[in-house]
Amino acid sequence: MNPAFLCIAVVCGIGLSFISARSSPKGWIIGTFLSASAGIWLAGIAFLGKHALEWKSAFTVGGQTLHCVLDPLAAWFLVLLCTVGSAGALYSLSYWSENKHPRSAISARRWWTLLTASMGLLLISANGLQFLFAWEVFALAAYFLVTTDRQKRDVRQAGYLYLGASHAATLILFAFFAGIAVHTGTWDLNHLAGHAELAPLFWMALVGFGIKAGIFPLHVWLPSAHANAPSHVSAIMSGVCIKMGIFGLLRFSQWMPVPPQAGWVILTLGVVSSIAGVAFALGQHDLKRLLAYHSVENIGIILLGIGFAFISKANGHAAWGQIAMAGALLHVWNHGLFKSLLFLGAGSVIQACKTRIMSRMGGLWKKMPLTTVFFAIGAAAISGLPPLNGFVSEWLVYLGMLDALTGHGIVAGTAVIPIVALAITGALALACFAKVCGIVFLGAARSEAASNAGESPRSMLTAMAIPAMLCAIIGACPTVFWPLVAPTLSAFNPAWETPIQPESLSTLGSIHLGLWAAAACLGFVMLFSLIRSKRIRRSITWDCGYAQPSVRMQYTAASFASILTSWFFWLLHTVRHEIPPHGPFPAQATVEEHTPETVLEHMVQPVANGILRLSSATRRLQHGRVQSYILYLIIGIIGIALVVGWANPNREQPQNHSSSPYQTVSPQKTDSSISSQPCI
Amino acid sequence: MNSMLNNLIALAIGLNLIALGTSRIPSLIRAMSVQGVILGIMPVLMDHHLDWRVIAIAVATVGVKGVAIPHMLNRAMRSANIDRDMEPLIGYVPSLLLGAAGTIAVMVLSRYLPLLPHHSGSLLVPGALASVLTGFILLIGRTKAISQVCGYLILENGIYLFGLLLLESTPLMVEAGILLDLTVAVFVIGIIVDRIQREFDSLDTRKLTALRE
Repeated sequence: MNPAFLCIAVVCGIGLSFISARSSPKGWIIGTFLSASAGIWLAGIAFLGKHALEWKSAFTVGGQTLHCVLDPLAAWFLVLLCTVGSAGALYSLSYWSENKHPRSAISARRWWTLLTASMGLLLISANGLQFLFAWEVFALAAYFLVTTDRQKRDVRQAGYLYLGASHAATLILFAFFAGIAVHTGTWDLNHLAGHAELAPLFWMALVGFGIKAGIFPLHVWLPSAHANAPSHVSAIMSGVCIKMGIFGLLRFSQWMPVPPQAGWVILTLGVVSSIAGVAFALGQHDLKRLLAYHSVENIGIILLGIGFAFISKANGHAAWGQIAMAGALLHVWNHGLFKSLLFLGAGSVIQACKTRIMSRMGGLWKKMPLTTVFFAIGAAAISGLPPLNGFVSEWLVYLGMLDALTGHGIVAGTAVIPIVALAITGALALACFAKVCGIVFLGAARSEAASNAGESPRSMLTAMAIPAMLCAIIGACPTVFWPLVAPTLSAFNPAWETPIQPESLSTLGSIHLGLWAAAACLGFVMLFSLIRSKRIRRSITWDCGYAQPSVRMQYTAASFASILTSWFFWLLHTVRHEIPPHGPFPAQATVEEHTPETVLEHMVQPVANGILRLSSATRRLQHGRVQSYILYLIIGIIGIALVVGWANPNREQPQNHSSSPYQTVSPQKTDSSISSQPCI
Repeated sequence: MNSMLNNLIALAIGLNLIALGTSRIPSLIRAMSVQGVILGIMPVLMDHHLDWRVIAIAVATVGVKGVAIPHMLNRAMRSANIDRDMEPLIGYVPSLLLGAAGTIAVMVLSRYLPLLPHHSGSLLVPGALASVLTGFILLIGRTKAISQVCGYLILENGIYLFGLLLLESTPLMVEAGILLDLTVAVFVIGIIVDRIQREFDSLDTRKLTALRE
């Protein structure tokens, strides 16, 4: 199909969504699906076509020619955006409907459309100003979505924190793009590869995009924003929005030269993010905050792969780099899918239990069986268990790192550390999701709301089924997706002309397929025999043989993870309030644990308070005494005089024209303007 | 002629120092008005042929600065019933020393300024800068509104002195406009002084801080 026709379809779909957001949610969802499917089709053309789709406007907007490029790299992220964008939209239909949220349902739909549209524009932008425009609209739309429920104080605070962090990122990116424009003389971003002097700008991009991606020390905004947003918004924030940071990093290392140390820095950040992310996740009691910290962890895993790709690019384009990169790219998709699935599942659970605290849930498997199944698929996938997609991508990253280990040089020597880090991360993630699934879905209900919970409506279940299915498909047939990964790899680094599919990928695929088949057979046999033998009976969850079991005898989220969090005390600074039991008949004993936002409270807040103190100190300059104002004026004038005197030391000899830079521009004018001044 | 001009400018600089050193407001006003008269007759003494323009400027300057403005200020002072600036922010002796040091500094500085050759011998530029400096010291250092008006006028005298360098090329209308501005400004300040007096029972401008925000 003609790409132009598809573009029109995308624009029409977005327009339809905007128009019908108020009057008909059905029209809104149709528009969303129309633009999403046209977008996926366009991405397919970009993957399989020989050349990237490119469009340059014949007109100018604000002096800039619009420039859009859809190459396989952009297409890779576009597919994820379209998938999660439509699944989240479908979920929101009954999750955030007019009945439940009359104040914000319509605006949430509008901002959703704007958010997805601006992210799409961001992906295809090849002009600095256009990119910044899309970036800013995307950041603002995300802010309004995060604060959809802004009657609550926590939500507003999370919104401010997000907005502050987001604008810090935008500011740095402004400097970054302005730096490019100064060096190249144009805001257009094509043909930057020849400018070797642009390489140091990469560090700015790393910080700017790193804030958005939630790389560990820069992640401060992420947990509260993800936790306080409506769940479908958390899903797209975690699944797609933070990937825009990754996209930016990849895009500007694809188009621009990068400094040689970049790969090592990214690798270090990846190790730190993955371990710190999962450690903080273990300490959380809030279900969505926990999932948010897992986003930090998974960004770390993606960075591990990207770091190896960068190192390989700087060391003769070794083949292990492309395998690690393939793993990172696939993990971008996979994390987008299973994390949005988990957030959507968490949204259903939280709506049923009316709380985000895991220790008030419990026993939901019996009340919400389908939600439990979907959540369990997501949990298994994020823990990197076969035969799901998380295993495939993490395994590709492992494969790349192991290949590097067998090579020579410094890379081989240091590749052990990220391998160990990734292994630790995987194990801790598994422990963390064992905790989540055990506390939330197993055992007995710990609160009134949890015991009265019911299954979610069908549209929410369908929305969860989409990413769950895709998780299973990518896990079962990873080789199907290699033809999409390969052009993306060669778009990222043209030196990897035709990336060869690692042989073991197809072996892995067949093993996974076999596992799925075996699981299906086993399931059918068990179900069949259970039905035949009529031995299905309902009873209470096993009560360990106590005569009078109570729900308070169950493990809590904190006690389950207690050992693991104590290992990471040096990082988490977990606060523990404890009244230990005394005597043979202890009367009262409690233990309570709370993990603070260490980076935010111990690093960002002191700096912010210092800035605040400094700026309120400057207010003392304004006190209403005219005399001092005049003094400021004089100091200012003298300062300017000094600056001018410093800048033009030749000013005293107006005859000496040869040193004047203006001389060459228009000598005639300079002469006349000087001679017309009788003095000075 | 040039030496005559220089003597007058030296006199004006001396008046600057008197204005800085005195605590009595009437003598401050007198110093200011005498300076105005001296400046007024200066264009007549400058070495170029007299025409009606220059004479008109001289007459107007002497009239406004020597008579009209001092008269208005004296009236304001009497109606406000004060004749001393009791609590200067910068004391009289320190401000005198500051003024003297500043005058010496601008004398030195003006040697390094890229002036036209026929201006380099005269005291016009250092005199102008010294008067501007004096005006600023008065504006910063004094608390009573009337002393500040005087500071403002001495500041303007400095600017006027500077303007004498451009006398040939400044049209009459500009001079007239500056004088008009000045008169109106003093007039407005007179009204403000009256208002401050009525509102705060004092001419102490520090009390205006009560008006911020």
